[in-house]
Amino acid sequence: MGTTASQLEKDLLSEYQELTFLTKQEILLAHKRFSELLSKEDRTLHNPRVPMVKIISLPELKSNPFKKRICHVFSTSDTKDGSLTFEDFLDLLSAFSDSATLEIKSHYAFRIFDFDDDGTLDSGDLEKLVNCLTGETDDTRLTPEEMRQLISNILEESDIDKDGTVNLSEFQHVISRSPDFVSSFKIVL
Amino acid sequence: MVDKEYPSINFQRLISDESCGSAVLEESCFYLQAEILNQLPSSLAQQNIHHQHQDRGTKETLISGEKHPGQARGASNRASTVPLKYLPACMQRKRELRDLRNQQRSTIGRWESWRRSQSINMRRLGEHVGGAISSLLPWSHTLHSIEGRFGAGVKAYFVFLRYLVYLNILRGLIIGGTILTPTAMYSRNNWGLQTFQGNDSLLDFFLGSGFLERSPVFYGFYSRGSLELPCFNTPLLFLLGTLSVFILSLIMVVRRTVVGYKHTWLLDNRYNIHMSFKVFCGWDFCIQDPEVAAIKLSFIRNDLKSYLEEERFQLRDAMRTLMERLRLYLLRVFLNILVMALLGGAFTLIYYATLLSMDQQHNWFLSLLFQYLPPIFITLANFTLPHIFRWIAVFEDYSLAVQVNTTLVRSIFLKLACLGIYLFFLIKYIKNTETDQCWENQFGKEMYKLCMFDFLTCFFKAFFVSYPVKLLVSRHPSCWLARLLGQQYFLIPFNVLDLVYGETVSWVGLFYCPLLPYIGTAKLVAVFYIKKFVVLQCCVPAQRMFRASSSSVLFNVMLLLGLIMAAITLGTNLHRFVPSSGCGPFAGSKTVFNVTAVCVDVLPRPAQTAVRYLTSETFFYFLILAQTVLLTSYESRRRAIAKAIERLKDMLVMTSSDKHFLLKQNTLSLRRQRKKSKSPAVAPGSEEASSTPQTLTPERPL
Repeated sequence: MGTTASQLEKDLLSEYQELTFLTKQEILLAHKRFSELLSKEDRTLHNPRVPMVKIISLPELKSNPFKKRICHVFSTSDTKDGSLTFEDFLDLLSAFSDSATLEIKSHYAFRIFDFDDDGTLDSGDLEKLVNCLTGETDDTRLTPEEMRQLISNILEESDIDKDGTVNLSEFQHVISRSPDFVSSFKIVL
Repeated sequence: MVDKEYPSINFQRLISDESCGSAVLEESCFYLQAEILNQLPSSLAQQNIHHQHQDRGTKETLISGEKHPGQARGASNRASTVPLKYLPACMQRKRELRDLRNQQRSTIGRWESWRRSQSINMRRLGEHVGGAISSLLPWSHTLHSIEGRFGAGVKAYFVFLRYLVYLNILRGLIIGGTILTPTAMYSRNNWGLQTFQGNDSLLDFFLGSGFLERSPVFYGFYSRGSLELPCFNTPLLFLLGTLSVFILSLIMVVRRTVVGYKHTWLLDNRYNIHMSFKVFCGWDFCIQDPEVAAIKLSFIRNDLKSYLEEERFQLRDAMRTLMERLRLYLLRVFLNILVMALLGGAFTLIYYATLLSMDQQHNWFLSLLFQYLPPIFITLANFTLPHIFRWIAVFEDYSLAVQVNTTLVRSIFLKLACLGIYLFFLIKYIKNTETDQCWENQFGKEMYKLCMFDFLTCFFKAFFVSYPVKLLVSRHPSCWLARLLGQQYFLIPFNVLDLVYGETVSWVGLFYCPLLPYIGTAKLVAVFYIKKFVVLQCCVPAQRMFRASSSSVLFNVMLLLGLIMAAITLGTNLHRFVPSSGCGPFAGSKTVFNVTAVCVDVLPRPAQTAVRYLTSETFFYFLILAQTVLLTSYESRRRAIAKAIERLKDMLVMTSSDKHFLLKQNTLSLRRQRKKSKSPAVAPGSEEASSTPQTLTPERPL
């Protein structure tokens, strides 16, 4: 794979263009940014991985409360350490690109919000999600009473089949009615 | 779900029946249920598409795919038509899928293969063209940086501004095609450069008098010219241009409003999902600045808290006693009367200002001041009253959202009504006093002045109010004045109101000042840069951020109101007043619409009859009748669909509870089976299973 070379090979580039929502310029920019994250010895490796710590230090992700979850969702690492290869990185940028569809975006959003990776958003996931959104420290959190009220509200609204959790299709159903989502679920380098 | 101490040891996929006799002693219900859930056709369909690439995973999917042929077919069908990048899977998986598809392609016919590759090529071409067009959109970089710092709400304002620029350019094109070109080609007037004459000054540029009055900016410049066919002449084109601008604007604005409306209110009212929105779509992933991120966090927190509080407020509201309720209503009535009094006062002031502005003054400064008196009063009223309204709304004890909305609605009413009243008095006054002169020019001049004044206000507010205040606050934060003024926020609703106001003026003035779209375009481009400066240099991100979608609907509704008002004003003007005899393309005819009658008269008889019928009242009755029928049918369809949705929802709940019940039963019976098979020392199936452990960690579809 040509990812270690400073320039991407031409057919690989067109393959990436076919498989992602990114344009040629965006892929080249992504490659440049990714190469900057690699250490010297890593560059000689075949298909090198950038550890999660370095990825989340990118200014585009730095202030995002979901940065670790994003890395975990897009990582193909076997050890589940959240490290990304260049292709994982492209997957990430593709899902967050301007032209990605609502379906793709909502799918990945669901996986990002599914903190325990069990395929549904249960009240534990929702609590973690709300804590991410309000700030993690004790004084910024909602009170337990508010949290309980909020979660029961969310489940009341979105849990259509009343099984106590929000599954992917219910989640997408909610998301599809928010025109803001596509414009806000976006990371552009 | 029942017992928590499930061991994290290997256990088996329940693919076939013999594996039920497992050697693992204590299986938890949880794992078993997870297992069964994993094998449900719906999860398998998902797995098929976006399974993470793992040998084991793919194999299993294939195996179970055979078990559920219908499902597998559905998934593969879908997979073969959807472009690969639309699949939520990692790159390696997409590659495999592509190879799989290529294999399939070799087995399918030549025609099919050609057709598919053609469709892919077409799609790619379309994407390229779309990408090229979207790269032509100006200011995308600016918008992106604004969005990054101030969130989607402020960006929506700028997108709206950009949209207005397009609207103005489009209007300019229509006017250019129907009014300017024919005039340039056939006019008897001197189209050359308008030169300054002795008594002209730079002041004329602001007043619209002097050389501007003789220029093509105003209605008076245009004359009948030599294009004299009955159905193709300058006046008719003039009218056509104006009408097509209005119709096109109406279509565009309504379309934009409806698209947004469909998404937000229509659905929201029936199925309340505010909370889920706030949580699931709460974070703006575009945000990069840590400071903004902190603000966004606190914003979301405040928003959630205020919403929860609002819920409690409604509870409290429901528990109010009759006496309290009565007092509250009395207070509200009183405050509404106060609001009306304020509005009435503002309107009276504008009336007197209009009267004063018509007096001739000899001193140039006084003349400028008096000429600009109505715009100054309108701006003043619009500047102060909304803040008073906001203050009044606090006392009315509405919930927060209602407070914001009432303030906004009152402000909209104020702004548009001010303009309407000004126009009304203006026309009345002009008609009464100046019958001999070109009253259309006078009117156009007023519109021009409003437009210029709007721009000047924006300019002065930015550079002589916002910027100095910002400098003061940043340099001397401890100064009492700085503390009094505080940080500046970009108040989106009020800024949008300004834009809508400007657009309304531009629509009304279009007929009397045909170059207004061009002036408007230049003005809006300048406003864009001024506002960008204000936002990026002077403002801090607001604590209470505006939602982009609902606000853009609101923007468009306001624009629609402005358009309707403009259309009513212009329609009344054209209908009621005789065009002045000394100037303009309609000089000499009784009403503006006479030119159409002249055109109709020369048409062949059947066409004449048809046109007469189409413009008659009888046809309108039919039109209204047809509309009523259409609306009724849509309404009944809506009701039927709503009922069906309700029924389907009930069904979903039922099937889901059925599923869980069956799951429970199945799990229990499996456990019983395993306990039974555990009691014989060596069960036939279990030995086989433990010797070839298909060890799997519990895995759920992702």
